Amino acid sequence: MNSSKRLWLIIGPVITAFIILLLLLLSPINFAHNSAETERRAAVSLAPQVFKGRQIKKQALAGKYVPFFGSSELSRMDPLHPSVLAQKYHRNYRPFLLGAAGTQSLTQYYSMQTIDTQMKNKKAVFIISPQWFVPQGARPDAFGFYYSKLQTVDWLQQIQNTKMNRYAAQRLLEMPSGHSDHAIAQMLRKVAKGKPLSNYNRLQLSVSALILSHEDQLFSDYRLGHNLSKIDKGVKQLPDSQSYSALDKTATTLGKENTTNNSLGIKNSFYSNRLRGHVAELKGEQAKFDYRKSPEYSDFELVLNQFAQTHTDVLFILPPINERWAKYTGLNREMIDQTNNKIKQQLSSQGFNNVLDLSQDGGQPYFMEDTIHLGWRGWVAVDKGVRPFMANKQAKPKYHINTRYYSKDWQQLDPTAQNLTNFK
Amino acid sequence: MINLEPYGNPQYFVYLLIGLIPLMIGLYHGHRWRWYQSAVSLVFIFLMFDSQKWQQGVALIGFVIWEWLMVGGYMAYRKKANNRWIFYGAFLLSIVPLLFVKITPAINPGHTSLFGFLGISYLTFRSVGMIMEMRDGIIKEFHPMLFLEFLLFMPTISSGPIDRYRRWLDDYQKVPDREKYVGMIEKAVHYIFLGFMYKFLLAYLFGTMLVPKLETLTLRYGGTGFSWPLVGVMYAWSMYLFFDFAGYSLFAVAISYLMGIETPMNFNRPFQSHNLKDFWNRWHMTLSFWFRDFVFMRLVFAMMKNKIFKSRVTVSNVAYIFNMLIMGFWHGVTWYYIAYGLLHGVGLVVNDWWLRFKKKHRESIPHNKLTEAFAIFLTFNFVCFSFLLFSGFLSKLWFGHY
Amino acid sequence: MDVKETVISILNDLTGNDVSEDMDTNLFDSGLMDSMGSVQLLLELQSQLGVNVPVSEFVRSEWDTPNKIVTKVEGLVD
Repeated sequence: MNSSKRLWLIIGPVITAFIILLLLLLSPINFAHNSAETERRAAVSLAPQVFKGRQIKKQALAGKYVPFFGSSELSRMDPLHPSVLAQKYHRNYRPFLLGAAGTQSLTQYYSMQTIDTQMKNKKAVFIISPQWFVPQGARPDAFGFYYSKLQTVDWLQQIQNTKMNRYAAQRLLEMPSGHSDHAIAQMLRKVAKGKPLSNYNRLQLSVSALILSHEDQLFSDYRLGHNLSKIDKGVKQLPDSQSYSALDKTATTLGKENTTNNSLGIKNSFYSNRLRGHVAELKGEQAKFDYRKSPEYSDFELVLNQFAQTHTDVLFILPPINERWAKYTGLNREMIDQTNNKIKQQLSSQGFNNVLDLSQDGGQPYFMEDTIHLGWRGWVAVDKGVRPFMANKQAKPKYHINTRYYSKDWQQLDPTAQNLTNFK
Repeated sequence: MINLEPYGNPQYFVYLLIGLIPLMIGLYHGHRWRWYQSAVSLVFIFLMFDSQKWQQGVALIGFVIWEWLMVGGYMAYRKKANNRWIFYGAFLLSIVPLLFVKITPAINPGHTSLFGFLGISYLTFRSVGMIMEMRDGIIKEFHPMLFLEFLLFMPTISSGPIDRYRRWLDDYQKVPDREKYVGMIEKAVHYIFLGFMYKFLLAYLFGTMLVPKLETLTLRYGGTGFSWPLVGVMYAWSMYLFFDFAGYSLFAVAISYLMGIETPMNFNRPFQSHNLKDFWNRWHMTLSFWFRDFVFMRLVFAMMKNKIFKSRVTVSNVAYIFNMLIMGFWHGVTWYYIAYGLLHGVGLVVNDWWLRFKKKHRESIPHNKLTEAFAIFLTFNFVCFSFLLFSGFLSKLWFGHY
Repeated sequence: MDVKETVISILNDLTGNDVSEDMDTNLFDSGLMDSMGSVQLLLELQSQLGVNVPVSEFVRSEWDTPNKIVTKVEGLVD
């Protein structure tokens, strides 16, 4: 074989592969339309590629799915979980679960960028965790895990010079993810400074958007996991009547059956997998935890600002902490109350009035599935807020955003009653 | 301003290939266009260190001038005389920039030295090696341009593999014949795609998908002692380290091949090693061989020649520990890098003892497939444990910071 | 004793084997030699034959069989 023939045999396949890839990524074809079954699986999958993607979310939310933003509690899929209730009782909505352990406000804000059209004038549920509001704010590694370039590109494509965008760009630049792509990092620096993007930047964004959206269409319905079977299994365990007395009875029974190996009211499997063995060292361990001052408050403002921009009608849920657990670990009760007050002030002062405050219910039996996550009767309490919210037509929300919530003053404000009243 | 991190993403290879095609056409037809090679290398090096990394770029320029003066100056001196103290001085001065970069964060946590730039240690190895070979009289000439072309050889500038001047020069001063060059292109294509799998699939899977999850689990629920998530961190991080670095090295070797230079390989199935010595002949080979040739062997030579220790075993044990400790310090002046070096030093001593014992009792110690499998298993786990130390995660777990 | 015999006797001492049986065996691959052994070889060559081989001259691939070593040393003695 002569050298030139051998050379072509080597580089021929590479060139062919390259051309096929270009066609696949740059052609204007839309590859995916997801089946209803894929939507069902994706809605409860909690899979990172669904969260980071766009196609499946857009399609599902255009239909009867309603976004349920949250974090780790969404994975507590016992039969009283909102997804199970909606399916069993053929409600007019289905939750699309967005969030998992480690998704905090900043992550949620960026994830909303791909679905802003679908959120416009629609409803949404948002579960807040006080545990997000740690002094150092969102963890860079967790943020990186859920970071999606597609979302950032979507966001940059419709950027305007607002306080919200400047703050969001600055926060993203504080994360390693913000520097993962140099072109984007450079655009973020412009946005943070309130400078406009160049035409070349816009071209870069359009090319990236085309490639990333094809990647998303081609790959995001892989490995959607087995959560749907948990939902389908849960449906069978629910009573036929959705009266709250019937639901509460089922919740109590299930809670009782599943919390037999410990005195903290924690689900058996959680206790034996994660706590047994070091329960002793955890005593008093959380006495120093403090959620009152955190950059998370301003990240949360991004979420509120986004909701205001899309006129989304949102039900906020403030979950409690397992009271026995909190006592055991020495968590400061007053600190938690003040944290919740600070969050509630941020909500109500800006016109977010649909707030389901469950923070005082952590002592109720079988309310929590484990340490900080809602379960059985807690989910029933959530449903008491969610069901009417979804069923009734709500008055068009009137939000008025106060950019002072982006300030360090607010992040670091000690939320005493006095300070909260004085903050304007 | 565009900034391109070397081998940071698949697009980088497209840019690189576009730049290299003229050079490749030349090589295919039997010419090496040195001016073009230098120009395209400089462009890509510029793109690594421009924009927000300009400080590193300035540090790189300063470093290159400094090393050029040291190596060139020492050669000029060495032609006339051979005083050992002058050699020690030149050696020390050539590693001064690296010492600054490594020691600054240890003295002043959170700070990095202004002299630092990506790849400084690899460049230091290249020029220090040259000074030592000049002292030995093996390198007899200093070519101002060739030195720069070697020091700044673009494919390997930021993370190796560490080539040697004489080997590199041999390749650089000739052009592989056409049949050989086509064979090199074939290998290069294979290495690039293997590297894609290593770095962009497997390293991503372990490093980005698995490690953070396992670390979070460990920090939240694992306590500070033994826990299963911690074991998971150990294995996942070890896999990440290998696939990330081996992938990177494959890219560097492949791009060198396209440029007609056979940069040595850096990894050779390290997790199949039968013992720790075997491991260091397979893991980050260009680094461990550099240490073997320039630290270990020289130290042994000096100790034996001056009869510092009576027993050969003592000599080799001391040299092992010293060699690995230096390697640990080179990674960074933190307790876990130093502990990593010490662990490997002690590991090599024990390993050597066992090999001697085995040789002596050859008849009574069984040797079969099963014992070999056990040896590989044991080596693999020892190595993974040492990588857990190396990762610094234990520091995070115990002291809350890296 | 000529150079070849001296080299072989040094290698026999170092490896504990009779290397003259297979003069093309790879001493490193077979585990008979390692870097420690290499340095000892260089020192013995110096003391027994008076040849000075600096450590940098020792490139493994050029010193890995008894035959190669003999040729190398013969070249250095002349």
